[in-house]
Amino acid sequence: MSGLADLRLGFIPLTDCAPLVVAKALGLFAEEGLEVSLSREASWATVRDKVAVGALDGAHMLAPMALASTLGVAGDAVPMIAPIALNLNGSAITISTVLAHALRQIDPEGMAQQPITARPLARLLEQRRARGEALLTFAVVFTYSMHAYELRYWMAQAGIDPDRDVKLVVTPPPRMVEQLRSGLIDGFCVGAPWNAVAEQEGLGEVLIRASEFWPGSPDKVFGVTAQWAATYPDELRAALRALIRASAWADDAANRQALVELLALPHHIGAPPSAITWALEDEIVFHEAGAGLPRREHALWFLSQMARWGQIESIEDFALVADAVYRPDLFHAAAGSLGPIIDPAMAFADAARTVPAALFDGRPFDPEQAAAYAAGFPICRLKR
Amino acid sequence: MRVLVIDPDPARAALVAEGLQGIDPLEVRQAALFDEREVTAFAPDVVVIAADSPDRDTLESLRESGHSSPRPVVMFVDRSEPGLAEQAVRAGVAAYIVDGLAPARVRPILDVAMSRFALTQQLQGDLAKAKADLESRKTVERAKGLLMKERGLDEDGAYRLLRKLAMDKGRPIGSVAADLIAFAGILKGDAS
Repeated sequence: MSGLADLRLGFIPLTDCAPLVVAKALGLFAEEGLEVSLSREASWATVRDKVAVGALDGAHMLAPMALASTLGVAGDAVPMIAPIALNLNGSAITISTVLAHALRQIDPEGMAQQPITARPLARLLEQRRARGEALLTFAVVFTYSMHAYELRYWMAQAGIDPDRDVKLVVTPPPRMVEQLRSGLIDGFCVGAPWNAVAEQEGLGEVLIRASEFWPGSPDKVFGVTAQWAATYPDELRAALRALIRASAWADDAANRQALVELLALPHHIGAPPSAITWALEDEIVFHEAGAGLPRREHALWFLSQMARWGQIESIEDFALVADAVYRPDLFHAAAGSLGPIIDPAMAFADAARTVPAALFDGRPFDPEQAAAYAAGFPICRLKR
Repeated sequence: MRVLVIDPDPARAALVAEGLQGIDPLEVRQAALFDEREVTAFAPDVVVIAADSPDRDTLESLRESGHSSPRPVVMFVDRSEPGLAEQAVRAGVAAYIVDGLAPARVRPILDVAMSRFALTQQLQGDLAKAKADLESRKTVERAKGLLMKERGLDEDGAYRLLRKLAMDKGRPIGSVAADLIAFAGILKGDAS
């Protein structure tokens, strides 16, 4: 009996739920004095609602979801915090093999470029428009997600207006592959392992991985409501300690096989182990080089994209929102207290300074000028 | 009344149909998976979806994007999720039906969901209109200022001129003002 309250934590079947699944399976939550039950959820909206009303104490979350919920973008405002990032990289843009073939026909040089830009797609869309053909359909996992902003950014960089030149839909991750097979969608941006599943089934081709789009790009966080964090500070710190230890374990190549087997279980992800391995090799980072640190500049980039696409009004005090939601101080406190178990230097070697965002197109992002950055794109839907 | 129940389990559609007995006309359709084309063709008054269905995110995005006409959504929650339905309803997150509910309770829940949805839609419409009104008032003020400066009119005279232009063209004063500002910009070389 540790005297800590029992926790119910939610996750979506994706490779980056690993820190939660590992912390539970290896007994790390228990070692930190927590009795945790994990709940596999089917949709991000349900995760958000359950955390908001307290049916879950915390959950695996899309980072922009915590910001959107705090700002009340898609309903009532429920302030949430992100005290730890669960992973960097992991998503990818995949298109159907049929579409990939068409793109190679129209722009073979563009398709040979590394990283691949959306130029070949822009050319094809132009041709289709001239012929009066229907819009192509692309799916993302949620309106407020790295995946949505990644796909939109990648398209717009080549002059494609994602709200006008294609049809953007939302499809749950486990359903992406079947919709690609049925021809309902022509491409998607989703997290691991679903891109690999599409490739292995011969249905899709990965065009660009998150690690090429933006090396070390943010993705999921562990989210709780601000109110819960204030009520249960000891439970939160214990959970963070367990998650940091689990992340370090998941990054260790020696544990790769065990991790893949654990994630492949039907009550976790329920996908082929070979597909899960794909993104764990040189793509997803859970812990190394301070990957768990919820970085302010990541929050500011998300806010800039939310403003760019008209989801929120462009405001000058983005930093206020970023600092309220992203809580590196809580991560530091938990990681620092792990000293004897995990060398804090490992988590902080590169964590103290701001890491400049290096997106594939080379456009510089100054976190202090997030609003100006949002307004500086040729294609944007800025609200006045 | 047309109700679409998205749930692989036909028992829930049956429960909904039973609870809505007596409504005429009534059409309850069940689909295992969400399909936008089907929803567009069927045009339900309300959509009932299992809370554990991954299609929830798709439905929510449609509501946000306004791509298809929005509809009220009611969630079906398994009884094994204690507290979720009550808390969610209290928090105004969504309308939830708890599985195993007496059929008699189905209709009031759908009614509440639909009326609350209509109210939200109206509020959003009002808000958009209020914003547009405000915008138009600002535009008129700017056009007035422009006329005062360029034509040496006083405030009253500038407004009368704008109103006359609007009446002559049979257009709202706000849009005449917007044109005036746009043309002034072009003359100054803004759109070169």
